[in-house]
Amino acid sequence: MLIIFKNIYRVLVRELHMMFARPLYLFASVGVMLLSTFFFLTLMKGGTAENMPVAVVDLDQTSISRRLIHEMQATPSVDIQLITNSYPEARKAMQQGKIYGIFVIPEGFYSDLVAFKRPQMDFYVTNSYTVGGNTAYKQMLTMVNLTSGAFQREVLRKKGLTDDVIMHRIQPLAIEGHMVANPWGNYSVYLVSTILPGILGLICLMLTIFAIGFELKSRTSHAWLRAAGGNYTVAMIGKLIPYTVMYLILGVGCHLILYRFAGFPVYGSTSRLMFGLMLFIFAMEALGITLIGLLPTLRDALSIGALYSMLGFSLSGFTYPQMSMLAPVKALSYIEPLRHYYLIYVNEALMAAPIENSIPHMLALTAFMVASLCVAPRLHRALVYWNYPLK
Amino acid sequence: MSKFQYPIVKAFVSELRRIFRDPGVTVIFIVATLAYPLIYKAIYWNEQITNVPVAVVDLSNSPQSRDFLHKWNAAPDIQLTYSCTSMAEAEQLLRDQKVHGIIYFPRDFARQLADPLGQAHISLYCDMSSFLYMKAIYLSCNNVMLESMRNIQIDRYENMGVDKNFAWALVQDAPYTETALFTPTGGYGSFLIPAVLMLILHQTLFFGICMLGGTAREENEESYSFSSLIGRASACFVIYYGLAAILLGFFPRLFDIPHIGSIGDILLLIVPYLLAIIFFSLCVSVFIRNRESGLVLLISSSLIFLFMAGISWPKEMIPDAWWYIACCIPYTHGAHAFIHINSMGASLATTGTEYIALWILTLVYFVLASILFYVRKRQNNVF
Repeated sequence: MLIIFKNIYRVLVRELHMMFARPLYLFASVGVMLLSTFFFLTLMKGGTAENMPVAVVDLDQTSISRRLIHEMQATPSVDIQLITNSYPEARKAMQQGKIYGIFVIPEGFYSDLVAFKRPQMDFYVTNSYTVGGNTAYKQMLTMVNLTSGAFQREVLRKKGLTDDVIMHRIQPLAIEGHMVANPWGNYSVYLVSTILPGILGLICLMLTIFAIGFELKSRTSHAWLRAAGGNYTVAMIGKLIPYTVMYLILGVGCHLILYRFAGFPVYGSTSRLMFGLMLFIFAMEALGITLIGLLPTLRDALSIGALYSMLGFSLSGFTYPQMSMLAPVKALSYIEPLRHYYLIYVNEALMAAPIENSIPHMLALTAFMVASLCVAPRLHRALVYWNYPLK
Repeated sequence: MSKFQYPIVKAFVSELRRIFRDPGVTVIFIVATLAYPLIYKAIYWNEQITNVPVAVVDLSNSPQSRDFLHKWNAAPDIQLTYSCTSMAEAEQLLRDQKVHGIIYFPRDFARQLADPLGQAHISLYCDMSSFLYMKAIYLSCNNVMLESMRNIQIDRYENMGVDKNFAWALVQDAPYTETALFTPTGGYGSFLIPAVLMLILHQTLFFGICMLGGTAREENEESYSFSSLIGRASACFVIYYGLAAILLGFFPRLFDIPHIGSIGDILLLIVPYLLAIIFFSLCVSVFIRNRESGLVLLISSSLIFLFMAGISWPKEMIPDAWWYIACCIPYTHGAHAFIHINSMGASLATTGTEYIALWILTLVYFVLASILFYVRKRQNNVF
C-alpha cells in the first residue's frame, strides 16, 4: 500500500518538473482563463443593451411631424442617429450597420391626423444583428405607443380629466413583466455564467490531452510508467493531481469572481453549484483521457478535442434553446459535458430547484469519468508499445 | 526576371506540399472548414423558437381572460401547456423546467376591465435561462395585450357615447406596420451562421498557419526569407480562395441561409479578408515555437473575436478600449462587411468603410510580417 503512495508521489514530482520545464503551455492556459474572465466581465457595459441607434424618415415635413420627432427624441432609451427625408438614405445607413431600425412618417401625415383619418406609420428593423435589432424593435414599439398615448392624453386633458384617470383610460390593461432570477435582464449575467466555465472546461480538456499526449509524442511514456512502478492507475493519478489542483483553483477563483465580486445572483445552493463545476472539470479531464486513448496521436486528439469543446458552447443550449433543435442534434447535446453543467447552473443558480433536479446531470457528468476507464486498456497499450502513428 | 521569381515559386510549391503532407493541417484547412458549417446549420436548423411551454394561473376565470389566452395561444411562439390553480403549482413547473413562462391573471381581472376607470393587470414570468425564451414569451404576449387593450378602450369610449371612428383615432391616432427588412423570416441561424462562416475561415486559417509555422520550427525547416513570406502567403491564399468562395458564395444558397448580396462583391471581399488574415497569422506564427503550444490560446480566441466584433453583442455597447483592439482583428471588419453584403444586400461601395479597413490591415500586417521575418532571419544567421 505504502509503495503505491510512494509511486504516486514520484510521478507527481516528475510531472511538476515537466510542468515547470515548459511553462509556456501552462501559463497560456492560466492566462487564457484570466484574460477571458477580464474580457467577458468588462465587455458589456452595464449588461443591458439600450439606446440602439435608429433613423427617422420624415416624408411629411410639417410642424406636427417635427414635433413628433422631437417627442421621440425625448423618449428615454431611444437614440435617433439620423433624421432624413429620404428612405433610401436610411436604408443605406442600415446596410452600413449604423442603425438598427427605421421609422417612417408618411407623407400627408399631418393632414390625415387632423382629419382623424389615422395615417399609417411604418417601422423597419433588421434581423441581421439579433440583439441590436430586437432592442431597436422594443424601443420603437415603446416610442409609437407613448406618442400615440400622448395625443389621447391631450384630448382627455382638454375634457378636464385628471392625470390619474387618464392613465387608466389610456392603459386599461397592463403587463407586469417578471424576469425570473435575472430581474435586470442582464445579458452579461446570463452569458458569462456559462461561457467562463465552458472556457475552463476547454482548458481542462486540451491540457489533459496535451499532458498525456506529449509523453506519447516525445516517447517518454516508458519513463513515466517506470516512475509509477509500471502501474497504469498510479501513473494516471500522479500525473493528473497537479493539473486537477490547478483547475480546481481556477474553478473556485472563477466562482468567487462571478458570484462574490461581480455579484451575479445564486438563488439556490452555492455549494451545490460549486460541486457541479467540480464534476464538470473532472468530466472534461476524463473526456480528454478518452480522446487521447482513442486517438493516441497528440495532434489528432488535440484537433478533435478543440472541435468537440467548441461545439459545446452551441450544443449546451444556453443561447439557442435545446428544445428547438432537431432530434439527432438534441441527442448529440447530451454528450457535451457543458450541457449538463449549464442545466445544473439553471437549477441551482436561477431556479433554486431541489437537488433531485440536478442529480441526473451530476450522474451524467460522472458517466464521462466512467467512460474514460473504458479506454484504459487501449491507452495503456499505447504507452507501452507505442502502437500508433507518430506524425 | 526569373531570378527573382524562382525562389517565390519554390516557396509556394514547397508550402503547398507541406500543407497536403500534414494530415493535421489538411484536416483543419479542408475538413473543418467544410464540416463545421454543416454542423452549425444542423444545430440551428429550425431557426425560430416555437411552442415555448407556458403555464397559466387564471384566478379570474373569466371570459375576458379566456379570450386573451385563446388569442395568445394562437401565436406560434408559445404554447399554453399547463393550467394551474395556484402560483405555487406553476412555480414548481418552472423550477422543473417543464415550462419556461407563467402567465397570471389576478382575481379582480374581469372586474377591473368592466370598471370604466379600472386598470387590469396581468403578470408574466419569464425563464431567463435563455434570452430567446423571454423574447418569444414577452413579445408575443405584448402584441396580444396591445390588441386587447385597444379593443377595451374602444368599447369604453363607445359606452361614453364617442363616435367609433373618433374613438379609434383617439386610441391609436396613427397605426403602424412593422417589417423585418432583408431577411423577413430569418431566425437565429440566419443571423449567426454568416458570422460563424467568417469566423471559421478566420480561425482555421489562423490555426493552420500557426501549426505550419510551429512544425517547420520543430523540424528546423523554417525559412524567413522574403520570398518564403510571399510563397507561403500565396499558397494559403490559393487554397483558401476556393474554400472561401464555396463557403461564402455557395453554402448560403444551398442551405437557405440569407444570400441577397451580389456574388461578385463577395468574391471581391474575400481577397483583402484572406490577405489580412494570412499576414496577421504569419505575424503571430513567428512567435510559435512548436505545433501544440498556445493551441488553447488560439481556440479561446475564437470566442473573444466573435464577441469583440460586436455581432452577438451590439458594437455600440462595447467599451472603446475593446473596440479599438477589435478593429485590429481582420474578423471584425470581414464579418460586418459580409453581413452587410450577404444578409442585407449592401453593395461593396456601401460597405466601403469595412472594405478599406481590410486593405489597410492587409498592408499593416504585410509590413509587420516582413519586418518580423527579417528580424528572425538575422537572428537565425547569427547562429
